[in-house]
Order: sequence, then structure tokens, then C-alpha cells
Amino acid sequence: MIYLDNAATTPMDPEVIDAVQESMRKDFANSGTVYSLGLDSKRRLEEAEEQIRNSLGIPQNYKIIFTSGGSESNNLFIKGYGFPDRKIACLGLEHPSVTQTLESFREFGNEPVSLLDLQKEGRLDVSDLSRLKKEKVRLLCLSHVNNELGSVNDPTLILPAMAEQSPQTRLFLDGVQAVGKLKLSPAMWRGLAGYSLSGHKINGPKGIGLLVFEGKLDLKPQIHGGQQQHRIRSGTLPVPLIVGLALAIKKSVEKTEETIKNNQKLSRHLAAKLKILAEELPELNLQFNSSLSEDLSCQSPSIVNFSFAPVEGEVMLHHLEKKEIYVGLGSACSAHSKEPSKILTGIGLTPEEARCSLRISFGSHNTLADVDAFVATFGEAYSQLYSTFNRKTTHK
Amino acid sequence: MNERRTILVRYDEIGLKGKNRDHFINRLVKNIQMQMKDLEGLKFKVPHGRIFIHCTQESTEECTRRLQKIPGIASVSVGVTREPEFDALAAVGVEWIEPLMQPDEKFKFCVRTNRADKSYPYKSPEIDREVGSRILGQLHSKGLEVSIKEADFILEIEIGQDETVVFYNRIPGLRGLPVGSSGDILGLISGGIDSPVALYRMMKRGCRAHGIFFDNRPFMGRGGYDKVVKLSKLLNGYQGKSQLYVVPFEDIQVAIRDHCRPAHRVVLYRRMMYRIAQAVAQQKGCLALATGESVGQVASQTIENLNAVSDVVHLSVFRPLIGMNKQEIINEARELESYDISIEPHPDCCSVFMPPRPATRAKIADLEVDETKYPWEILMLEAISKMETIALDALTV
Repeated sequence: MIYLDNAATTPMDPEVIDAVQESMRKDFANSGTVYSLGLDSKRRLEEAEEQIRNSLGIPQNYKIIFTSGGSESNNLFIKGYGFPDRKIACLGLEHPSVTQTLESFREFGNEPVSLLDLQKEGRLDVSDLSRLKKEKVRLLCLSHVNNELGSVNDPTLILPAMAEQSPQTRLFLDGVQAVGKLKLSPAMWRGLAGYSLSGHKINGPKGIGLLVFEGKLDLKPQIHGGQQQHRIRSGTLPVPLIVGLALAIKKSVEKTEETIKNNQKLSRHLAAKLKILAEELPELNLQFNSSLSEDLSCQSPSIVNFSFAPVEGEVMLHHLEKKEIYVGLGSACSAHSKEPSKILTGIGLTPEEARCSLRISFGSHNTLADVDAFVATFGEAYSQLYSTFNRKTTHK
Repeated sequence: MNERRTILVRYDEIGLKGKNRDHFINRLVKNIQMQMKDLEGLKFKVPHGRIFIHCTQESTEECTRRLQKIPGIASVSVGVTREPEFDALAAVGVEWIEPLMQPDEKFKFCVRTNRADKSYPYKSPEIDREVGSRILGQLHSKGLEVSIKEADFILEIEIGQDETVVFYNRIPGLRGLPVGSSGDILGLISGGIDSPVALYRMMKRGCRAHGIFFDNRPFMGRGGYDKVVKLSKLLNGYQGKSQLYVVPFEDIQVAIRDHCRPAHRVVLYRRMMYRIAQAVAQQKGCLALATGESVGQVASQTIENLNAVSDVVHLSVFRPLIGMNKQEIINEARELESYDISIEPHPDCCSVFMPPRPATRAKIADLEVDETKYPWEILMLEAISKMETIALDALTV
């Protein structure tokens, strides 16, 4: 099996599995109880939180809330901060847990602001942010790394531009695809309102994520109950998952430089092999949707997205699946869901180009041989499928 | 509290059958026994015109739930068996009616007797009167009255040769004929809303409905296949012993896509589905085909196109939804509980195979010309040779 869909999820690290299992056996007591068994659980939590702060360089004036994952973290912050009438903007290329949360504000008469006209290769172009000021935007939500394209919104470039052009606007970043794939600059925390991440994207457990936010912000509680987690998100904390998350963050952050190098090697190789394939197959109309730039402030090497019209991405995916090669897809080609990816059409692709695309996303286990096998199988399947999809061969 | 209950099963149209009556009843009893085989302590009795199931009080609810899913049953009542003595029968009435009465409020009831055992010395109206007056005597002071037309509660008594049963509720059944009494058929099933309803209707006419599914992998993922297996399992719950045949269809679709007129594609696909279904039906002893088509619902279901697909088979094609509108079909899919599965978003056809403008009135002669353009006989044999057979009774997940 060759797994090239690591932006969707990742296999769990065996050491993390061991840590979670051990904690499941040991730390069963409720961390909210006052007897020593519960206090032991509480201590495990505090240790895990401290470990996460150290790994990510989170300053003490930022609070941490454990959530079920990236979607919940995004909802918790945006709803907690924006409710009901703070003006909120996004680029329009974010994960649905951001864009749909913004949409949910419409019911309060709070129209979200889309900055799609300010996007360049999937990133926010910071040269003119005057709209933020003009439209009295209080919160700007962006992906740190775009989930379909790998394009980067670098907070160390965006925050100074915002401070200059629209000082009343705060920045929230969805960091789900960034942690472990890019080095997080400690400077990033200065000025950032909130940041989210998810365990299962970094070889950690599913069902656990993190919201980091500036402690002075008054977030409206979303889950009421026993008043855990600063009263914002009540509920008994899953100690074993949090222990696993802390270890997964630690390991992925420690390996970030190595990961970047490996991903650069893989994405470079993939782009080169695909270009060679396109020369060998004149009918292959190859188009890269993600930037091939090696500037890490523009593009993460963990994701490569490309189109190959007229063959549909979903059909290609299933042909690759037959050979046990698993890749990602932004859009579906089915006769029922003809809606192509909003991210790909958002950066200017036609609906056909968007439908005829795949996303390759790398993980630490991937090798150059995986890329070779993918390109070879892709080429074979493309040659086989081309005549069926090429309208010109259609009999009149 | 573990008093025995008697479930009275009334059958539907079997009652109308002449000499074959026993055959139909035996089939229904067998079907009931098959669906109940894991429940302990059940005893079956089949006096004239009825089926009695004796069970424990705890298993009553599960028994009635299952009986409601067995074709051929008109209604089901849960009651108790008593000696045919007025005092004993009236005591049951008092026990049931008293808790339903509110202080200072009138409550109306009546008694209805069916005397199957004509040797019983009292006639039905007399029994009604005798039992009714005894109940009234005990509860009149609390507000109980008799009303035949506006009763809040009807106590029913069945006096049979072997036993007398008292009950008050009639739970409607699926009606129709018991599965297996009309023979096996093969239904074309997709992941959509219509075809499961069509098979359901055929089951209720006494057919054992096997399914045949045309699989689009690898153009589409396994999601469509999983959905059809789920739907088929649901349908098998009503009949048991049915099979699902999965035929790989992609090579045929690609050949038609690449070699034939785009406007004819859908009708050509369906002609191949019908041909394959007929061949499989004959191989497996099915007597007819069934589909979920309804006139005019989509381009392939105009009368001309329905004729054009029926033209390639000689077996009868049953289309039980032919005169229904979409909402009626959806309502029935909800009743069958297939609707929520059918609307799961798994595509059943890749858009590359759909023509931009499908022909609504394909001419058979033109279709036959298209079919000279690709080796359909060979592709059909290949597809059948790669067919997967799923015995639905054996599925655990």
C-alpha cells in the first residue's frame, strides 16, 4: 500500500499508540475530582499541557483548550469571539469548518466578508489590506497552510501588515496543516488571536485537537456544563488522548526540519517525474495548481495539487486505489455532486480543471519509490482513461 | 408477571385462495417460524382462519415487531387465552379497562365477539351482552358506559374450537401474500430510491426478490456497492434466503461510451443490463425481472425507451412503480426504511458516461445499429463470468 493522502489523516505513530494505551490503563480517574487518584490524572494533564507549550513555544499569556479536533477548535474560537455581531472576514479558501462557521453568522444579520479578490496563488496578498479597515473587520480567519493547495499564509508577514493597515483587526489561524510541516516562529504568537490544530494530522490520535488563544480575549462558552477549560468548553477531559496529542506534537515539532527536507525532496521529485510523463504522453495536459516555489513562506512542500483535464480526478483516484495507491481529492465527479472544489475554483481554475485534479500529500513514511510507483500507475491509468474522457473521440 | 400471551395473526389474501389455501398458509407459517427461530418458548397453532403464537410476556413486543415485517399478514393482536366462561372473560376486560379510566370522566366501551366454534352454546351478540354487562357491573360506578358506535375501548373475543382469546389491539401488517408463494424474481437494484421499493412491492406479492447490481468500479468507488449491499440486507430482512448478484459493468459502459452515439448511451446501457439480468435470472431459476421504473421519471423511462429496453428480453418485466409519482415512491421508501440509505451521497454513475442530451425516443432499429459497433455478446459473457454472488442471510455486518 502506498498512502499519499496525509493531509486527510495520518497513521498513528506506534510510540503514541503505546503512550495512549498506557494512559488508558493508568489515568482513568476524572481529572476534576479531589482525591489523589484524580489529582494524578490532573497532573498528567498539566504535564501534557506544559509539554505542548514548550513544543510549540506558546507564551504564558495564551490559554489552551483541548477539543475534539480542528473543526471544533475553529468553531469554538470563531463563534466564541465573533458572537453575535463582530465583523469577520476570511479569504474564502479556508476549510469548511471556518467558512461554514462564518456563514452561520448570517442568521444574526452578520454578513461575513470574503477577501477572495486579495488572494494570490491561494495566499492573502498583504500589499493592500485597506478593506479590513474600511469594513470594520474585527477578526480575519486564514489557513496557515491551505488544506488542498499547501499555500502558506505566513503570520510573520501578515501580522505586521495588519498592524499597519488595519490595527483593530485580529488574526486567527487554522494551523491544522501547518504543525510539523513548517517551523512555527515564536514571533508568530505576538499579535495572534488564536490558533487551532488537530492530533490526527501529525500521527496522533483522532478525536483530539487544540485551540490556543490569547488569554485576555473573552470567548463566549459553547459547551456548558461542569465549567472545565476556562468555562468555555465543559466536559471531562480525555487524559489518554491528550497525553497522545502532547507526544505527537513533541515528536512532529522535533522532526520538522527533517520533514521539510524530506517533503521538499518528494515534491521536487514528483513535479519532475510528472513533467517527464507529460513529455512522454503528449495527450497529458498537466497543470500544477499548487506553487512549485521552494520558499517556505509561500508554499508547504507537504502538498502538491495538479490537474490533468479531461480525465476526472475521482475516476483516477479509484483506478489508483485498485493498485493500492491512495491519494486525495478536492472535488467529486459523480453525476450527483457536480460541485467542484471551492478552493480550486477560488484560485481561478475552471470547474473542469478543478474536477480533473488530485492532491498528493506526504507523510514521514513516504519515499521516492512511492512517488515513482504513483507516477507510473498514474501514467498507465491516464493512457487507459484518456480516450474515454476525450470528447473529440466521441462518435457523433 | 410472566404470564403467557397469545398473539393472534390474521392473514390477508390467503383467505381468498381456493384449493391452494393450505399451501399458502404453510408458507406463511414457515416464514414466520424462520423469522422467529432465535426466540425461545414460542408455540404455534394453526386453527381455521388464524395463526396463534403463544409466547412469554417479555418476547411479545419483539414478536409483534417482527410480524409487522412479514408479508402476508393482515393484522396482529396480542391477547390472552382464557376458558370460554363469561366471568373469566369479563375479568380480563376489567383488568385492561380500569387503568385507562380517569376519575370523574366517562369512558365508553363495547365487546365484540367472533364465534368461530359454532358448537359453542351462545351466539356472538349474547356473549357480547353477557361479558359486557359483567364488566359494566364492576366499573359503572366509576363512569363506564357502553357505546357500540363511539367506544373508547373495544374488547374483542375470539371463540375457537381449541381456544378462546381475548384482546383489544389490532396492529396492521404488511398485507399481501407470503414470500415464496409466487416464485423467485430478479430485481435490478441500484443505490437509488426507486428500485428497493419496487422489490419490496414484489415481495409483498409473494415473490422472493433477488437483486442484481451493475457495479461501476473502478470509475466509481466502493461506496455505491456498499450501499446496495446495505439495501439488499434490509430487503432480505423481510423475506430471507435472497441473493445479491454483483456484475462488473464498467467495461461495457466504456465500450458504449467510446463506440456508440452519445444520445443513445443510457438506453444502450439499460439494454445490456436487461440482457444480463435475463441470463442470470434463467441461470438462477428466477421467473421474471423487476425494475423501479416509472413512466416519464427520467429520459430513459419514456414509453419509447421502456419499449426499447424490454425489446431485448423475453422474460416478463414487472415494474410495480410504473404509475407512481416520486413523492409516493419516497413515502413508501420511508415506510420500508430504505430512504435514509438511498440518499447517502454515493454516486452510482460517473458523469463521463452521461450524455449531454440523452434521446427520449430512441428507435430500436437505430439502437441495433449502435450495437453492431461493439462486441456486446463477448463483453456480456465476460461480465457474467466475473459476477459475485452474495448470500444475504450469511452477511453478519
